[in-house]
Amino acid sequence: MRAYPLTYKKLTPVSTTASKRKRSGFISRAALPYVLSLPALLVCIGILIPFFTAVFYSLQRYRLSQPWAREMNWGENYLNFLTDPGFWATLEVSLLYAVLTVGLELLLGLAIALLLQRRSRVNNFVSIMLLMPLMTAPALAALMFKLMTNQGFGILSYLLALVGVDDFRWGSSPDTALFTVVLVDIWVYTPFIMILLLAGLRSLPTQPFEAAALDGVPRIQQFFRITLPMLTPYILTAALFRLLESIQQFDIIYAMTQGGPGDTLTVFQVEAYLNFFQSTNVGRSAALLMILWAITFFISNIFIKNWLRLRERARGEA
Amino acid sequence: MYDKEKSLAKDFLDGKLSRRELIKRFGAMGLTASSAGVLLNMQASNALAADFDWKKHSGKTVKLLLNKHPYTDAMIANLDNFKALTGMDVEYDIFPEDVYFDKVTAALSSGSSEYDAFMTGAYMTWTYGPAGWIEDLNEWIEDPEKTNPNYAWDDMLEGVKSSCAWNGKPGGELGSADAKQWCIPWGYEQNNLSYNAGMLDAAGIAVPTNIDELGEAAAALTKDGVYGLGVRGSRSWATIHPGFLSGYANFGEKDLNNDGGKLSAAMNTDVSKDYHSKWVKMIQDSGAKDWATHTWYQVGTDLGAGKSAIIYDADILGYFMNGDGNAMGGKLAYAPFAANPEASAPTPNIWIWSMAMAKASKDKDATWQFLQWATGPEHGLFGATKMDFVNPVRKSVWADEMFRERLNSSYPGYVEMHDVSAPGAKIHFTAQPLFFDLTTEWASTLQKMVANEVPVDEGLDQLAESVNVQLKDAGLG
Amino acid sequence: MQHVSLIERLLRGVALILVVVFFMFPIVWIVLMSFQTNETILRVPPSFIFEPTISNYKALITGKLETSAASLEINFLRNLGNSVLLSVGSVALALLLGVPAAYAFARHKFKGSEDIAFTLLSFRFAPPLLVLLPLSLYFQKIGLADTYIGLIWVYQLICLPLILWIVRGYFEDISPDIENAYRIAGHSWFSTFRKIALPLAGPGIAAAGLLAFIFAWNNFIFALVLASADKQPVTVGALAFVTASGIQYGQIAAAIVLSIAPTLALALYAQRYLVEGLSLGAVKG
Repeated sequence: MRAYPLTYKKLTPVSTTASKRKRSGFISRAALPYVLSLPALLVCIGILIPFFTAVFYSLQRYRLSQPWAREMNWGENYLNFLTDPGFWATLEVSLLYAVLTVGLELLLGLAIALLLQRRSRVNNFVSIMLLMPLMTAPALAALMFKLMTNQGFGILSYLLALVGVDDFRWGSSPDTALFTVVLVDIWVYTPFIMILLLAGLRSLPTQPFEAAALDGVPRIQQFFRITLPMLTPYILTAALFRLLESIQQFDIIYAMTQGGPGDTLTVFQVEAYLNFFQSTNVGRSAALLMILWAITFFISNIFIKNWLRLRERARGEA
Repeated sequence: MYDKEKSLAKDFLDGKLSRRELIKRFGAMGLTASSAGVLLNMQASNALAADFDWKKHSGKTVKLLLNKHPYTDAMIANLDNFKALTGMDVEYDIFPEDVYFDKVTAALSSGSSEYDAFMTGAYMTWTYGPAGWIEDLNEWIEDPEKTNPNYAWDDMLEGVKSSCAWNGKPGGELGSADAKQWCIPWGYEQNNLSYNAGMLDAAGIAVPTNIDELGEAAAALTKDGVYGLGVRGSRSWATIHPGFLSGYANFGEKDLNNDGGKLSAAMNTDVSKDYHSKWVKMIQDSGAKDWATHTWYQVGTDLGAGKSAIIYDADILGYFMNGDGNAMGGKLAYAPFAANPEASAPTPNIWIWSMAMAKASKDKDATWQFLQWATGPEHGLFGATKMDFVNPVRKSVWADEMFRERLNSSYPGYVEMHDVSAPGAKIHFTAQPLFFDLTTEWASTLQKMVANEVPVDEGLDQLAESVNVQLKDAGLG
Repeated sequence: MQHVSLIERLLRGVALILVVVFFMFPIVWIVLMSFQTNETILRVPPSFIFEPTISNYKALITGKLETSAASLEINFLRNLGNSVLLSVGSVALALLLGVPAAYAFARHKFKGSEDIAFTLLSFRFAPPLLVLLPLSLYFQKIGLADTYIGLIWVYQLICLPLILWIVRGYFEDISPDIENAYRIAGHSWFSTFRKIALPLAGPGIAAAGLLAFIFAWNNFIFALVLASADKQPVTVGALAFVTASGIQYGQIAAAIVLSIAPTLALALYAQRYLVEGLSLGAVKG
């Protein structure tokens, strides 16, 4: 049995026209796609109820500890952000964290995927082993890193001291805290990107590379001209899902530093979590999270549009 | 099966046998201290039963939300006695301490009626009370129909008891005449010094008695991979409330001013700035390098592992670290600490693990039946002498000879430390609903000061300004 | 394939070793820690030499843990069971709902298809905290609070978008020609989907399912907010060793090892699906 990857269609335009012709015969089945996709939507749509409740909260002056003062204040929670330096710090560090982690993980993940690209028992085994950090719950991974970076018992601090760096304070210094949490994030999540890109690499058709090799195109150029463009849909998928998580990061940062030292790492979810669970300031917490949602929505939209465009173009070229 | 033991216990309770004699005879029968304690408590409970209808709620079940804590272990160890005494059943959910209060907030705010009572701290009731999630327990304590005559409410340490009572008005004095008893003290912590006696002896350093001496001693002890002073430093209210606020209060300083119900920041006075400077310098010179991530656990672990010499933190943290399984187990000692050289006695700020009753509870009288047992003198004595239910909140337990002896034999200085500082021990914060906002920001400011990101006086002025804005926003300032 | 020079092979080998060391070192360290007592873990300086003990695992499995302060009751195996139930349940539900939907989006251009696809994906955008708290109120009202059903429903919200998006890509990458030929031979739509489309995309579905399983397994906050102690997963359960009387690092390490083990076993078992599956290798022949 044999199927063909998307890109192969470029070489066999006949198949797509054939499929179009056949598909027109299914018109009596117009309802079918709805039957297939609506159950998923119906089961999930319930989540919109709490979502809109949260929108409603974000438009209120609402502290659990002052129930008598609860009232609609419409956009006031949002307007207050404009003049709140804490909010801008949150926005900045959240975006910085997301860009750093996703960027570095993409580079590293792609590099590792390239190393493991050739099919062999060793490479397959290594790729599974490398998934182990991903299987370690971030909350627990952070706890272990906290111990490993402890100044006395921590193996990492000890090893650094051996090579002469004996005053590296990891999560405890404002200068290195961001580095430390990004490091943990990279450790946990690079395997996710690696495995998706490895899959992408291995699914690439061999003909273009063989042709390029015959033409004597240098490997570095093959990479930029053929590999990377063909890999883009995979990169976008991996980056999208990673970005969704990264900009909403909570477990690692909260467990490592609780947002400190000072206000260095008060990313959205950490700030909103403290606002809800400690200050019980529901209004501000919900407004913060709505902004986070809007940012996520906006960025994802760009990603998805591009992803669809790429796939459409791939088909269009067929 | 325990007939012989039971009759011994009864003899003891009838006054025919001294406690010492009783324990000796139990020992001869091969009973462990803790199971002997349970037995004894069973008899004590039986004695109680005569004066009060403990069986009134027989057949009912109460459900508790508990923190994973030695106090919880002590209660569970003695729970069969409660069941036998009342004919009631008790179910409980135990959550890890790290997430415990988040679970409480989640459960209470969702309007769940699952839990009848739960463990809490006094600070948390400043949110739960006004939010309408918990009951004012005076209604039960003051009702002789509902509370057994031996409950001895007045037996509770005054500062501890009143720290759990607040009238709900922002800035309202704790324990005032119109205060509501939001929770019942269960066990509590004073903040004093726990230190590694061997290290101080080896360095020829006397136990410090004020903040300047503490700074010098800590600096002198910081060598060979050991640091002098362990205090918490994470970005959390938990950094402010232990040693830091205890010393702060010793200088007569307050967190907030209360001007006829209008609250304003009080942490940018000259005395406060001086105290903050000393505190910050102490951490920079002789604190842990990773101070800014230190919570209860790291402060304790380092002392227990011999990595720090002195901690200015909860006394029971030092108590736990003196147990087996710690490299320094059995080598720690304790001392009261008054940060202000002018002060006559220490003024420790305290943490109180307490029990509160959920407003959503479906049977509050039955729940009270459990609460009065769990916070009563019998269970208190059992827990304190047989388990790690320290520090007790009842005077009678502190007066108990066996309890004092148990502590004196393995925890040098502990009892004296407690006795000296108990009169000044209470919550030194202003009760108000923004407690967690303000203390988290305070901790964050301390972190910036220690990291030299902001000078102390400037940092405090900024903090005060921000606190004032937040108080105004919330309608408190 | 082009000739690969010796130097390049050497460099690749060195790079691979560095990668393996970076990602595996913490795991190795955790495994070592799981065979130590707290006292040896908290030695200064840290050391690789110690007398191994299985007391941590014994404590987790028997549910009894003796510490300096007290004997603790722990119920880690129950946590492990909860994690299995919640993860398997939610992934199964997400596959049941997501695979047909993914197929529809891949094979049929229909009115509103991209809107529905995007809406389904967008459920993943909402920060968990945002919806979780109002959700706990509604769960309380409709009786889903503290039920496995309610939890599985919330869990599948994080699984479904991932499965939908990845599996959709697979269906699109598989040429429809074979399906069409099979249909022309007179087979029904359903038997075509079942006999042709599903097997072809099978490895991809398995791989997406495994990734979704990992994300469900690692979730921390859903059960904490929505359920009582007897329904908590390993991520919450492992924190029970962080107690007022000290952190039991050995037990935490053992708990992490035990919590990785099932997923790892699954991944090793599904090895060829996971890597080859994601890349359609299995059907390339």
